[in-house]
Amino acid sequence: MAETPSPVRTKTLPSYGVGIGWRPEIAGYVEGLPGLRFAEVVAESVHAHGDLPPGLQALLDRGVTVIPHGVRLSLGGAEPVDGDRVEHFAAVAERLNAPLVSEHIAFVRAGGVEAGHLLPLPRSREAVDAVVANVRRLGESVSVPIALEPIAALFDWPDDELTEAQFITEILDRSGAMLLLDIANVYANARNRGTDPLDLLDHVPLDRVAYVHVAGGAEHEGLYHDTHTDAVPQPVLDLVTELCDRHRPPALMLERDGDYPAAPELTAELDAIAKASGYPTVT
Amino acid sequence: MNDTWGISGPTFLTYYLGALIAIAIIAAVHRKALFRGSRGARVDNLGPQQVAYLNGGDKLAIYASLGGLRTANALGTGAGKTLVQSGPLPAGVTPLDSAIYNAASRGVRTRDLPNDQWVASALEQLRDHLERSGLAVSSGKMREARLWILAGLALVVIGIARILAGLNNNKPVAFIIFATVVAFIVTLTMLRTRRYATDVANKGMRDLRYKHNYLAPSNSPAYATYGASGAAMGVALYGGAALYSMDPAFAAEAEVQRIAATSGSVGGAGSSDSSSYSCSSGSSSCGGGSSCGGGGGCGG
Repeated sequence: MAETPSPVRTKTLPSYGVGIGWRPEIAGYVEGLPGLRFAEVVAESVHAHGDLPPGLQALLDRGVTVIPHGVRLSLGGAEPVDGDRVEHFAAVAERLNAPLVSEHIAFVRAGGVEAGHLLPLPRSREAVDAVVANVRRLGESVSVPIALEPIAALFDWPDDELTEAQFITEILDRSGAMLLLDIANVYANARNRGTDPLDLLDHVPLDRVAYVHVAGGAEHEGLYHDTHTDAVPQPVLDLVTELCDRHRPPALMLERDGDYPAAPELTAELDAIAKASGYPTVT
Repeated sequence: MNDTWGISGPTFLTYYLGALIAIAIIAAVHRKALFRGSRGARVDNLGPQQVAYLNGGDKLAIYASLGGLRTANALGTGAGKTLVQSGPLPAGVTPLDSAIYNAASRGVRTRDLPNDQWVASALEQLRDHLERSGLAVSSGKMREARLWILAGLALVVIGIARILAGLNNNKPVAFIIFATVVAFIVTLTMLRTRRYATDVANKGMRDLRYKHNYLAPSNSPAYATYGASGAAMGVALYGGAALYSMDPAFAAEAEVQRIAATSGSVGGAGSSDSSSYSCSSGSSSCGGGSSCGGGGGCGG
């Protein structure tokens, strides 16, 4: 079936180096990072009009690139993506003057019921069709490239037709989107399924990686959970190095969402990411 | 029928209101001059406890110290809502910190801290420095400003006397009652105003509050990240409520009052509703105990 060209744009991004997820809780810490050139903010937490939080405004004022990261669009839902949410998302991207935006390959609601979590899709052709259709809809409102982030899943759906790499590649190819690779998810999925994380790195289009999430996790009852509230473990950093040896992405960022440690520990994590990727330190 | 005291009602009322307005204006001008502070005095190199004093007096300075000591795990609460030492005194503390830490070894309650002689002397030292820099309003100047309360009280007394005399004389007293009530309110306002910071200091603190907006409780600041001095500055700028957002159990046990900073605060723009969406906190979130990306979670 021949498809119409996707409205989603793609472009070569400049290299930003190491960044961090901006959160109100650590806004003062992020603002104090002297070499920071890249940050990400949860799109739904930003007012599309009206004032930005002062800490975020300060980053923009000094030329830091801030990417809106959606968590509630539910691009993987069977129903078309919600128009109001798309409008807000697009407006935030304009407000931040962002060179790209990102969302998840996941669904957060179905049949009007909110899950409150990002839920994984079955890796079927039908799911690919649904995601591609929604990303194209989003692309009609958003004038910058869209990066998609596959999520961690503790289980596989029984009707999976495609491998993880095929699923991701198919969605990227048909939607024109870029990839937001969560290296901690790659590690978590491989570890929990007993597969080799490098296998995924060898089978997804690394030249389409817009940026990379690096987060911490912890083992609980035999399963590795991508918690975002623990330190980044060494195997994840090693995977960062493996990734950068194959194709270094324009930016990698620390994603910490809670249980924030003392500033020196955050600094050590950022420095470790810089060291693993070969980018200059930002602290 | 003669005019009360030989002065006609309208004439008396005119003089009375004239005197009231004159007192209010002169008192305000005098205060403005008294509270101006030294031009060029700066607040941006002050420590958290000094900022706290300017914002809420002795009590807030003590709270700021509590916030710092608590974040450094030096203080806890014991039986009977007393403060106890829970760890070593961190390095680089202020005299007020040491005094409070030592008082905690004797099991004092937060509200009794100002009566502790070492705490009191540390507070005096803090105050002195700020007064000499033209940032804090000295008690001498405060007394001077309050002299005008006497003038206000005199007006109230005269008003009441006139009302009583008028009633005896069967004269209408509605207007003078109204005027006396106004004089009373003006006097009460002068009595209630307690100023710690000079105008210069207040102006500087507005900038400080903007600069340190990330410490506003509405951002649920990660005090562990900002450390003891960040925590203390949070309390200094945003009041006892910051201690509650930092460590609600400790703040409640230590009977900290949620006093807000005396002057207006810059709200955490855009942050108040962010928690419900972001992965960091709030209901549908991932932070804290539950697994995140694992079962789907914040995945990203």
